[in-house]
Amino acid sequence: MSVTSNVDLRPIALLEAIRSEGKSWDVIAPQYGVTNPDPPWKTSLVAMCECLAISGAVPTLDRRRAEDELAQAVYNDVPAPERQLLALVHTMLRRGLVMEGDLADRMRSVRSRLEAA
Amino acid sequence: MQTTHQHAGGGHEHKAAPTVEEITDFEVLEIAVRELAIEHGLFTAEDHRRFTEWAESIGPAAGSRLVAKAWTDPAFKARLLADGTAACKEIGIDWAEPTGFGTPSDYMNFRVLEDTPTLHHVIVCTLCSCYPRPLLGMSPEWYRSTNYRRRLVRWPREVLAEFGLILPPEVEIRVEDSNQKCRFMVLPVRPSGTENWTEEQLAAIVTRDCMIGVALPRPGRTADVHPVHKARHPVHSSPSMRAAE
Repeated sequence: MSVTSNVDLRPIALLEAIRSEGKSWDVIAPQYGVTNPDPPWKTSLVAMCECLAISGAVPTLDRRRAEDELAQAVYNDVPAPERQLLALVHTMLRRGLVMEGDLADRMRSVRSRLEAA
Repeated sequence: MQTTHQHAGGGHEHKAAPTVEEITDFEVLEIAVRELAIEHGLFTAEDHRRFTEWAESIGPAAGSRLVAKAWTDPAFKARLLADGTAACKEIGIDWAEPTGFGTPSDYMNFRVLEDTPTLHHVIVCTLCSCYPRPLLGMSPEWYRSTNYRRRLVRWPREVLAEFGLILPPEVEIRVEDSNQKCRFMVLPVRPSGTENWTEEQLAAIVTRDCMIGVALPRPGRTADVHPVHKARHPVHSSPSMRAAE
């Protein structure tokens, strides 16, 4: 069965850079002897999906469809929940809810905040 | 919990670390996009905090209590099968307000599917990831996978076998497809060997997987542990190593 996709599957440079780093939780957790199966940000991601659904910015069904298509076409080598995060941000960027440049700037400022002594 | 790993000097035990000593770009990305979304007015920090609290607080315990009560109270079971949402209020779950601040994706039509010795139910959401969260908590990753969603409706017996649940051919399997308007949960058959058990004892063997329908409750089984099959030809093994095996 062929279905016409409404999801913009073109890769996004910022997200490709994050993906290529390969720092998914299933890789780094064992390196530190951490047995928690989920990264610390997972619940926050779930809550963000709910918030975006209730506001109508990214309805649940749209998000899940995009996640399915992006998981197959773009982020097929990324484990969950990193894949879910990348797919959500990919969808938000393509919808113009956030801009790639703004996001890159904010990531730099967040990192410097988290790494501040 | 203890974990063991190998150093140059040999393996020994460490206490499990609470978290990693590294800030990954995934962690940074989640924070950054959330902050921008809040600044752009897509939602508020208060909304996010409340949904996070809710997501962290729910689990399958409410569903386990529901099944245990149905097993020990025939009148409650009849009410549960007749009107799932009304019966849930008796154990403190209100489908109209499971979060206490609105229900973005958990709707009011909830039905309980009763198994019999010759009929087994299993739930799925072929469209996305609909799940009875007020009762079972957040869905497991595999429930949301396209592998499970696509294959269960076509080959239910084979997919259940992959979970270790091998049903005899005389047991009919019904797959119930959840959607945004209707949620389902399985009421398994009470296993033998649990006569005179308390509701608390019974609830302990009604795990999440039993209420999805990919496992059956039995005395002594109190956790969902999925078998991990070793790869026959792991990627790190060279052809010469395999030949030596």
